[in-house]
Amino acid sequence: MTEAHRVQPSRPWSRQVLAALVRRTGARIGLVWISLLVLVATFAPFIANTHPLYMVVNGEGSSPALANLEPIDWIWLAGFFLALILALVPGKPWVRVLAWLSGVGGAAVLAYALVSPPILTVFEQYREMEAAGTIEHIVRTPIPYSAKDYLRDYGDTGIEAPLAASERRHWLGTEENGADVAARMIHASRIALGIGFIATGIALVIGTLIGGMMGYFSGVVDIIGMRLVEIFEAIPTLFLLLTFVAFFGRSIYMMMIIIGITSWSGYARYVRAEFLKLREQDFVQAAVACGLPLPSILFRHMLPNGLAPLLVAASFGVASAILAEATLSFLGLGLVDDPSWGQMLNQAVQSSTFNWWLAVFPGGAIFFTVFAYNLIGEALRDAVDPHTQRTAQGAGR
Amino acid sequence: MKLLEIEDLVTELSDGHDWMRAVDGVSLEVRRGETFCLVGESGSGKSVTALSVMGLLPELRHRHPRGRIRLYGTADQSGDGLDLLGAGEGVLSRVRGGRIGMIFQEPMTSLNPVLTIGEQMDEALQLHQPELTEDGRAERILAALEEVRMPDPASRVAEYPHRLSGGQRQRVMIAMALVCEPALLIADEPTTALDVTVQAEILGLLRELQERRGMGVLFITHDFGVVAQIADTVAVMRRGRLVENGPVDTVLRRPQHAYTQSLIAALPERLERPARPVAGHEQLVEIRDLKVHFPVRRGFLRRVVDHFRAVDGVSLEVRAGEVVALVGESGCGKTTLGRALLRLLEPTSGSILLEGRDITRLPRQAMRALRRRMQVVFQDPGSSLNPRLPIATTLIEPMRVHGIGADDDERRERALALLERVEMPPDSLWRYPHEFSGGQRQRLAIARALVLEPRFILCDEITSALDVSVQAGILKLLRRLVDEEGLGMLFITHNMGVVEYLADRMAVMHAGRLVETGLTDAVLSAPQDEYTRSLLAAVPRLDGALINA
Repeated sequence: MTEAHRVQPSRPWSRQVLAALVRRTGARIGLVWISLLVLVATFAPFIANTHPLYMVVNGEGSSPALANLEPIDWIWLAGFFLALILALVPGKPWVRVLAWLSGVGGAAVLAYALVSPPILTVFEQYREMEAAGTIEHIVRTPIPYSAKDYLRDYGDTGIEAPLAASERRHWLGTEENGADVAARMIHASRIALGIGFIATGIALVIGTLIGGMMGYFSGVVDIIGMRLVEIFEAIPTLFLLLTFVAFFGRSIYMMMIIIGITSWSGYARYVRAEFLKLREQDFVQAAVACGLPLPSILFRHMLPNGLAPLLVAASFGVASAILAEATLSFLGLGLVDDPSWGQMLNQAVQSSTFNWWLAVFPGGAIFFTVFAYNLIGEALRDAVDPHTQRTAQGAGR
Repeated sequence: MKLLEIEDLVTELSDGHDWMRAVDGVSLEVRRGETFCLVGESGSGKSVTALSVMGLLPELRHRHPRGRIRLYGTADQSGDGLDLLGAGEGVLSRVRGGRIGMIFQEPMTSLNPVLTIGEQMDEALQLHQPELTEDGRAERILAALEEVRMPDPASRVAEYPHRLSGGQRQRVMIAMALVCEPALLIADEPTTALDVTVQAEILGLLRELQERRGMGVLFITHDFGVVAQIADTVAVMRRGRLVENGPVDTVLRRPQHAYTQSLIAALPERLERPARPVAGHEQLVEIRDLKVHFPVRRGFLRRVVDHFRAVDGVSLEVRAGEVVALVGESGCGKTTLGRALLRLLEPTSGSILLEGRDITRLPRQAMRALRRRMQVVFQDPGSSLNPRLPIATTLIEPMRVHGIGADDDERRERALALLERVEMPPDSLWRYPHEFSGGQRQRLAIARALVLEPRFILCDEITSALDVSVQAGILKLLRRLVDEEGLGMLFITHNMGVVEYLADRMAVMHAGRLVETGLTDAVLSAPQDEYTRSLLAAVPRLDGALINA
């Protein structure tokens, strides 16, 4: 080693990892797919909706799509634009995450307090008005059907293959109640994204706290913590979910929480192992010797250095949470009326014939989403590991 | 008779994008029965030269634009010698281990932990001497282990590497390298990871084996003391080039090249010792009969069956304005003592006094306020700074916690002043630890220790991982800090040269106890204790060896 100063741009570790991540083809594919899903989920009411975006009746313009937005639609929109704004504003990462979380929380409170769309929605009215010729001008969404629009006005609509009906156009066919599959899939992407992020987020927070305590204090705390981990690992998530569904009814939020509180044990193990290793590192010992307070030692000096395996595990965890929800819905224990990819898969095999479009499209969506998260996880693992990073460069990346 | 000839060798290594020239036009010749020492600081290309000879550089990540490496004296080719650079993998694998033996630096990782040492040696023999029978091989292995003076070789054959000490493992490595009777032995820093007493034994053994067998040895090291002990011919490398080359006496006594001169002048025992102010009498830190015992737990219920006595009744004091060196071999408890002294470890019994105040059982909260009075710098420059934080945060956070400076601007000013004090550029403040070299990181670690204006600093082997020229700079800095600011310093080390330069008093530690304490000059010139004498005798010294030669 020479004393000579090596000139290099100063980049924080997070930037380096991010740069290394987007250099990888796998990560790019995964990120593009996930961003596409986020866009689709956020703007679902403007992509697939029976309510027209804009229409003129009797010389009066109105936007039924906006008027019929539900609180959850507003929360998604608020979250999306808040994230966009915060991405451009400089600041500490954890401050921005907190700001986003509180912003979304505030938006949720506001939305449920202020927004009250009509409880009874008559989807047929627009088609009837159009047939009667009372609408002078109309702008529809690309897919003019809502997720819960069962097309009752067409009489005996049921399961139909893509583009089978002559007077209507269903690009991906319809499901057993007659709703448009494409519309339902677009709205279901919210559940896939939401359950992945929230369940994993809950698991990460619990796992980091418990794992961090075990790793730093060791001794009795470690022994008790590890027994707790073993107890939670022994709980079969699916049976717990079945039990809760039986007792408390079906709720997507309950599913998120249950998946979250049963899957933190893996993260706790990772954090514990990292902390056990980091505790002996010189810079942590030096921080103790400087008399720094415990939260600073734990969260400023140790956690950022132990984050790498956690991030990798989390991206795989998102994928498995999505699969858990799909499994539950496929078994018919998911949500009743709200669309979900697993529930559509269920319909593919329920009727006497095999309806391929109900298997291929939702199944493909699940596959690609899980695959995308796995690609990101894989690329992240390479990006945070300096050893594989070097070989990837050597291979000509 | 020449054995290995390297002519104008150029080796370039790739990091995936750029080619970096690691060896740049090196020519040298190793003769039969000669020990050729290649000396240089880290990154000078000495190991790459050795790996080029063995053909062990990573596939596709290296190239040789120029140069020839020839191995002479093999039976299966003409007087021209075997061209190693052009040889195929098949030829090379016969040469490696068969004609050329190699010993690596790290005895802990260079043996396979899941095979017994007998099995590992047997494998090499099967490959290179297929004509031997099983019994013949077993005999050869036993003879080789006897030759390296392995205690009780017959039972050691069936042992796994983890049952052996570092020195014993290095003996096994040497036995493995020699079992096929190579004509050339390449030893890459074989004693760097060992204690001085073990190093002295291994060097003696290598010398003896080489004389008996008439091998050529290419010995790579960074330690001029070792060179003086073992070399016949020495070559000094710098940035991939040989700067000086010649018989050991000439090069070490009358170095021609300025770089060699500066390297030898940077040896701590050669550093000029400045006049020192008289050390104060104010006692900073006093340790009384300190004991640190670790429980040994066994069995199902993890019952405590015994105690490992890491520190066993040590009494020591450090006064303001003096450096006390704590010397000892690995495992003697010197690092444990240091950590207990700082209350990073809970001592079992005894007491620690900081400026006359007993802090042994002080609760965590009360201790935290006192932390700023005593600071620490650790050994490993790679892990001594938090890699995720810029230097500014590392320096400013402790000040903020202890209420030094009114606001962050003032603290930044103080940090800048400190950077200047440790001779680092001001823009270091906004950089991350990975952008600095080892020596620079240690300077930054010293700055972090100074930030809290401590009265006492513990330095735990802080120059062991550094090159001599870098070490010289740090030692001078430390001495100046102690003299100018009246700090007290406990300097843990195993390097006697450093002790001689830096320390006012020294304490020798062995198996958890202090065996000798006294003024540095007195202890070094007239050691009283048996252990101190053997320790000092084992230190490879440039001057001593040259006088004897």
